[in-house]
Amino acid sequence: MLDRRATFWALYLPPLFWLGVFFLAPLALMAAFSLRADMSGNFLEGWTPTLKQYADLFEAGTYWRLLAISVLMALIVAVIATVLAYPVAYFLAFRVGVRAGFYLILLLVPFWTSYLLRVMAWKIMLGSNGVINSFLIYAGLIDEPLPALLYNRTAVVITLIYVWIPFAALPILAALQRIDPALFEAAADLGAAPARRFWRVTFPLSLPGVLAAFFLVFIPTVGEYVTPLLVGGSQGSMYGNIIQDFFSKAANWPLGSALSMIMLVVTMALVLVATRFVDLRRLIE
Amino acid sequence: MKRARRMLARMSGLMLILTLFVTACGGPATTAAPPPTQPPAPTQPPAPTQPPPTVSPTEMRPEELTGSLTVLDWAGYDAPEFWTDFQEMYPEVDVNFEFGASDADIYAKMAAGDQADVFHPYTGWLQFYVDEGLVEEIDTSKLTNWDKVPEDFKKIGQIDGKQYFIPWDWGFSSVLYRTDQIPEGVDSWAALMDPKYEGHISMWDDGPGAVTVSSYIHGWDETQITDEQLAQIKDEWIAQRDLNLFYWAGQPELDEGMASGDVWLGYAWQGSYATLLGQGVPVAYADPKEGRNSWVGVYGIRKDSPNYDLALKFLDAKLAEATGNNVVNIYYYGHANQDVMNGITDETLKEAFSIDDPNILQKTNFTPNLTAEQRDAWTKMWAEVKAAP
Repeated sequence: MLDRRATFWALYLPPLFWLGVFFLAPLALMAAFSLRADMSGNFLEGWTPTLKQYADLFEAGTYWRLLAISVLMALIVAVIATVLAYPVAYFLAFRVGVRAGFYLILLLVPFWTSYLLRVMAWKIMLGSNGVINSFLIYAGLIDEPLPALLYNRTAVVITLIYVWIPFAALPILAALQRIDPALFEAAADLGAAPARRFWRVTFPLSLPGVLAAFFLVFIPTVGEYVTPLLVGGSQGSMYGNIIQDFFSKAANWPLGSALSMIMLVVTMALVLVATRFVDLRRLIE
Repeated sequence: MKRARRMLARMSGLMLILTLFVTACGGPATTAAPPPTQPPAPTQPPAPTQPPPTVSPTEMRPEELTGSLTVLDWAGYDAPEFWTDFQEMYPEVDVNFEFGASDADIYAKMAAGDQADVFHPYTGWLQFYVDEGLVEEIDTSKLTNWDKVPEDFKKIGQIDGKQYFIPWDWGFSSVLYRTDQIPEGVDSWAALMDPKYEGHISMWDDGPGAVTVSSYIHGWDETQITDEQLAQIKDEWIAQRDLNLFYWAGQPELDEGMASGDVWLGYAWQGSYATLLGQGVPVAYADPKEGRNSWVGVYGIRKDSPNYDLALKFLDAKLAEATGNNVVNIYYYGHANQDVMNGITDETLKEAFSIDDPNILQKTNFTPNLTAEQRDAWTKMWAEVKAAP
């Protein structure tokens, strides 16, 4: 009995410790910071909690609109990235056979270069004297470079979709691999054509992976700030950029913390609502 | 086949864990810079202002002096060229660098209890260090190069009548434009808001900077901006956003944009002007009728730093000529040592500093110091510009 308890704690303490130190403690500090009136004075003593920052945010309504736009952008990115990742995962799971390991590595190669470099590459693609514009001019389709390719929200969405596709493919791949091949044979024996087999057997069974991919993309994208900073221009800011500005450009950590807390709550609420709509347990069964 | 699948499953499992880890690290909600856990310095026992007796400078030759010094500076300023005189004189002293990404970042770090001995803020961002008791007064009698610094510059480092900072680098801000795209020239800061240049303007990503530009255009006293004026400034910059291609945060972004031809004009430091002139890009640096802006970078010593004397020596060497020449020649910024500036012969640099224009300093506005309220209000204004519909 004692042994079992000791084993229990030996197994649970390290992850609990890790989660506590690197996740819960910073989160608690951030929550505490969002209740400060300003930056001045000692952090530990001499200040009374206030809801001033939150009141300010409710008064300046613009941030809510930006949060809604960021959620919408994340939704578009997550849907498209998941849809585009599905064929990739399907190909890896059923079509490449013994060379699967090789193709998987190929899929993951982009992760070996820095995120920044990959986003910069899109700047080279979309820029006014970039690859796309140069080609269109060379082909005689346009005379002047199209300025609208870079520095707007569309550029942000395109870049984010590109960045997320390999991430989104992985959970779908895992789900597809879990499907028992005997099911396909059974479906074929019962006379199901390939398309029907896919929609009635493969796709429903891969849905947990699809949902995991969707949330994997959606949740971090709501707070994205690096990509809009690089390719978004002055009109492409997302909610995350405002948070970053309050921390790094305004020395206003309390307001930045309040903005972060709001984003955290809104994202969690959205995920909760989504899981109510889609009964995850039923899907997994 | 089966083996391959098992391997695949194992690999994808590993990758998933990796992915989740990476995502967790990239997730902004969990990685927003954690607030400081360290209480600021005052809770510590009073630190000695004298270095330990073993390194007493009166008994030892400079090259034998040991110790260590931490400098909170901007990335790039850690290059040995920018403290070469100190390194030559005191080769045994360890100098460590920490970095801040902006004035706000450096201030936030110092306020959070950063233990750097020396830090490098810029004009506009000085008052709160004194108000919050984060900076020690400079004992100028110990600086051998102090008499080479012009009075006007010394005054920049004085807060409430005391010398808290020593001036070091300085430069102009003005409108930089491509002469091939704008042959008619630019004679006002208002060009940054001119619809003629739609899609080819780049403003600096900075709230206080935007307020400065607006107050020049309207002829307002930027130290006395009212709430109504700030609301008007906000509306004007929201309108400007549709004309603006991108806000630049670091000088290379602007340089690249202007060199490629996407940007025709922008708010610029004269470092950009000199860089682009050097690359042969056709650019000119406006002399707006409202006057150029100028800024000064200063160094301060942290209150209760145990290395006060060593820090003073570091700052004294920062003012010396070889270091100053490097600031001028590598970054194209001015240096507080007048001998350095008088020694400039390079034509590009002379043009960048407008050294041959005897009236240039009269046509210049130094950035005044922000109060904490202005800092918060103006940065909030800028965030609302970016978030506006």
